[in-house]
Amino acid sequence: MSRPFPYTFISCPCADTPVPDPARKRRSRESPQKQSPQKPAPRPSTSEGEKKGTTANEQRDEDDEDEQTFDPRSPRSDFSLYPPEQLLYCEECHQIKCSRCITEEIVSWYCPSCLFETPSSMVRGDGNRCGRNCFNCPVCTAPLAVSTIENATGNGTQQGPWVLSCAYCLWTTLDIGIKFDKPTNIRSQLQKMTDATPPAAFDRSRQASRTLDSLKHPLSSSASVEEHGNARERERDIEHPAPKEDPTAPPMGADAQFAALKNFYRAQIAETSNSPNDHLSSDFGFSSPGALNRLMSLYTSSSRLGGLYGGNKKAKSKPPVMREALTASEGLQIAPKNGEADIIARLASPDCGWEGVASLDQRKAQAPNARFVGDLLPLPVLLRTKRAKRCKSCKHILVKPETKPQSTRFRIRLIALSYIPLPTLCPLAFSSSSALPSMAPTPDLDSLSPLRPIHVLLTLKNHMFDPVRITLATPPVTPGRVATKVTVLSPQFEIGANSDVWDEALQGASATSSGDSKSAGLGQRGVPEAGKVWDKGRNWTTVVLEVVPGTLPGSSAEGGDGNPETTDEDVVAVAASRKDEDVLEIPVFVHMDWDADAQLDQQNLGKASKADDKVTRELAYWMVLGVGRIQASL
Amino acid sequence: MASDTQSMNASKRNSATSSLRHSQATRPASPHTPQQPIRSGSTSFASNTSPSSSFRSEDDAIIFEIGARSLRAGFEGNSTPACVVGFGPEDSRRAGDYRGWIQGSTGAARLPQPVDAEDWARAYELWRLDSREVDLGLVEDKIERAFRETYNQFLLTDAGTTRLVLVVPSLMPHPLLSSLLSTLFSRWRFPSVTLLSSATMSATAAGLRSALVVDVGWAETTATAIYEYREIATRRTTRSMKHLMQETGRLLTGLGSNNQDNTETNDGISVGFGYCEEISSRVAWCKSRSDEDTSSSKLNQTLSIPSPANPEQEYMDVPFSRFAEPTEKVLFASDIPEHEMDDEEKSLPLLVYNILLSLPPDARGTCMARITFVGGGSRIPGLRQRVLHEVSSIIDRHGWSPIRGKALERQRERLEQLKLSSQRPSAQTEAPKNNEEGSSPDEGPSDPSKEVPEIDFVEQKLRRQNKDTPVPLQGVLREVESLGPWAGASLTTSLKIRGMVEIEREKFLQHGLAGATRDIEHPVPDRRSGLRSGGDRSSWTLAGWA
Repeated sequence: MSRPFPYTFISCPCADTPVPDPARKRRSRESPQKQSPQKPAPRPSTSEGEKKGTTANEQRDEDDEDEQTFDPRSPRSDFSLYPPEQLLYCEECHQIKCSRCITEEIVSWYCPSCLFETPSSMVRGDGNRCGRNCFNCPVCTAPLAVSTIENATGNGTQQGPWVLSCAYCLWTTLDIGIKFDKPTNIRSQLQKMTDATPPAAFDRSRQASRTLDSLKHPLSSSASVEEHGNARERERDIEHPAPKEDPTAPPMGADAQFAALKNFYRAQIAETSNSPNDHLSSDFGFSSPGALNRLMSLYTSSSRLGGLYGGNKKAKSKPPVMREALTASEGLQIAPKNGEADIIARLASPDCGWEGVASLDQRKAQAPNARFVGDLLPLPVLLRTKRAKRCKSCKHILVKPETKPQSTRFRIRLIALSYIPLPTLCPLAFSSSSALPSMAPTPDLDSLSPLRPIHVLLTLKNHMFDPVRITLATPPVTPGRVATKVTVLSPQFEIGANSDVWDEALQGASATSSGDSKSAGLGQRGVPEAGKVWDKGRNWTTVVLEVVPGTLPGSSAEGGDGNPETTDEDVVAVAASRKDEDVLEIPVFVHMDWDADAQLDQQNLGKASKADDKVTRELAYWMVLGVGRIQASL
Repeated sequence: MASDTQSMNASKRNSATSSLRHSQATRPASPHTPQQPIRSGSTSFASNTSPSSSFRSEDDAIIFEIGARSLRAGFEGNSTPACVVGFGPEDSRRAGDYRGWIQGSTGAARLPQPVDAEDWARAYELWRLDSREVDLGLVEDKIERAFRETYNQFLLTDAGTTRLVLVVPSLMPHPLLSSLLSTLFSRWRFPSVTLLSSATMSATAAGLRSALVVDVGWAETTATAIYEYREIATRRTTRSMKHLMQETGRLLTGLGSNNQDNTETNDGISVGFGYCEEISSRVAWCKSRSDEDTSSSKLNQTLSIPSPANPEQEYMDVPFSRFAEPTEKVLFASDIPEHEMDDEEKSLPLLVYNILLSLPPDARGTCMARITFVGGGSRIPGLRQRVLHEVSSIIDRHGWSPIRGKALERQRERLEQLKLSSQRPSAQTEAPKNNEEGSSPDEGPSDPSKEVPEIDFVEQKLRRQNKDTPVPLQGVLREVESLGPWAGASLTTSLKIRGMVEIEREKFLQHGLAGATRDIEHPVPDRRSGLRSGGDRSSWTLAGWA
């Protein structure tokens, strides 16, 4: 269940061509038996419908049995099923394209908050985030607004220190002790603050302020702001000497440590590569002969064994070897002696509590050592991109958006629905005078009774300007443990071309009435008959599927193939453990062919079988119809 | 807590063997023949080959660190990854399936029925190391989607245009590695993929050349000894974050179902995974010693957490000390005696001790002073100090000897008497002492300290020659903080150091992993792309991954 019932999904045909792995092919050629451990552990299944797996391995193994039934329940099929509107179509390959079989090229970068386009040269420098004043709240991810501290008093003087404040959760940068001097260029101001302040002192002061501010919110009144400001100053005074006292363990920020390490390694590489031999390649490993030699000489020249190899070894200079970082300025950071006792104490303290600790989601975009809510910094908005999409196999452009962030138009957009029929599904409702009086007027799709047949109308709407011949195929019994019987009453039919709407109007009243009949009253249509389409319009055709929902495994309605001694508790357990197993999804194989104009297609131009430049095209894909949810009992 | 033993160890191990290598190597230059014959051969060989792909465009490589639970990605030269993306059932949904947004945070809700602990965690991991349980096709699908979305959402560059650096554990099943690489190569046009070992990168990110990297990861905890950037030993235990999460789940399940029938709740977990992970990441902690008095004032607090029964609305008070229980039980196995534990499920302190024990003495001395904790578990406050504390107490008790038991006690007493009777022959007993006898807790520290005054004059001379070069610290337990494997790889790559394993697109697409040469002494490609051309590019190696 992923959308309200009924729904349709289309499986991109690229799922049938698995990732080619040369090594695996080779392996299977050598010994096919070796593949067996690669297969997934077979899921316990009782139904005979699940005998075919859809994993790539098996498909390749049994390529003689090419016609595999698509299993919408397989975990892999979740990656190939798309709502019809999300698919693209490549006109060169004549194939449906999903997001897995296209390549993307970025056209422009923009901030979703201020809609400013960021030039490509700036994107990396800004860390893929907006370089202006767009920030998200680190606590609740709502956008932050720049406001003055005084704006609580009401006079719009627009001066004084500025803060970022969240309108949703009322978090402000005052909570972490940050004020800005001017309302512009907040990003660089923030950068400067987080970098310039010694990280230790900065963190401490922020932590202290956090505990205070959590009691009274600074935006509540200006008086409290003053109070907090003073309190924070006091706290800072108290806290400041602390990090200076223990020079053994000055905690560095990740950035600082990284920069120190980088400088250190740079210097080391420069030093060591100035050796007379200048053999760079042996600086890091012992695999080259030179390094091996050096390693050997290490044991020989210093010890008495050196004599064995002659005196010339002793005269040889040793190339300087890179050493490890030794001081904090070189990036070495020794873990503090007292350990994390203060963190534990803070976790346990009542002023921190559950809310004081940053959640997983909050921490995701923060510095790796952020642990408390007070450690969170406002997040510049992540940029977004507009991307052009190309077919992966032929590089044909499928989608090309306008560059401007404000524009939602596309220069090129080949969506699949212009080429494949749009499937829609609706349950068939019978009037009370229907031939099947036991049937409810409109079956509730969220609770289908097992073993009670329902009829579903599948409408395929053609958007091409050529009429299309369709063949539908479906496995008689749906895969999975819930064996639902499905019959397409008229599997072969034709859909008219998407001609001018006026044509239909001009054709007369008969066509119009048939088009309206679906909404006017279905009772007059009578009962669905095998071999007949249900309804037909200008560019759409409706057929009937007869569906007999299967019984949930272990349910009381189960007859033959289940064990009868199951209770209702088991039903719940089974349904819960295998989530969504009660959802009735029907795989339908759609094969469509049509006569298209071949004039653009040079290859087929000469040997076009049909007259006047027509060539027959075909397209085949699997489609999944989500009908409803089967209820456990009758 | 661990300081007393550290200082003792320092005196014990006081750099008697302090790296000859180090002091040797930095000796001032003396007159010499310019080039070694072999060395000149190697360089000429390298320079003769065509400058193949070393003059590549200076595009920054993109670094991915991929594990069972999450993926980190970012650009080389950055200190932190641009994003951390977790794997969960939300990431396996169909396109257009927005259930996760409708239902609120997934995995938060209480499960209707207790589920098996393994199944409970299965949907949240990308792969299992046991490749029999893994549907490789599904893994490929997940990897493809994760990489695509990472590129589109966070990296914001065109996928496949620049070099890719993958940081993966050094022990990775070949089917998984093959799936990973073939997905990347066939989906995008990466010119090459470099593999870097996460343990070595962790050491690099700590500024070290030798280290003991303890990776408290999802599926297992590994302790890898790195010596001069080489992995020389690795040990692993299944006591890891997954078990910790499962144990936390059981704890919360027990808290949720107020009746204390533990027998019933033990086999299943009925709290949501997401909720449990949240609890575990926020408030899990570790006692500083196993017998720490939890009823002391500060730890007697109760903490109000979202109630396991109804996490969305209700809160419940839980004693803070209870959140240390899973850590205690899973990672330290304080309730199981050592001999009951299987080899693969030793507790963390034993793991660290055992790998140190298995190292040669000078590597041990170097590594024990450079212990680095990485991985998700290293975030648990107090865990690292606790491990070091317990390791040092094991060393106090047993020294560096794998031999335990009563017979040893008797033998030691006998030896002691022997030594008391004749003080002179102690010089002879010194030889076995290094191998097996450094064990005795009271003898160990005392004897070497007596014998240290007999100074190696070579050592002294060397020391005098290089006064300016600092002596590397050895023989004390010391913890060094690392920025993590991702940052290490970012450092390494930004310094234009090439990895041993650089897999080129065409080569891989021809033969897959099977195309790698088995030759261990494979000619190393030149590590600096800008300066000199690479070595023999016609073949490639998997090095440590082979």
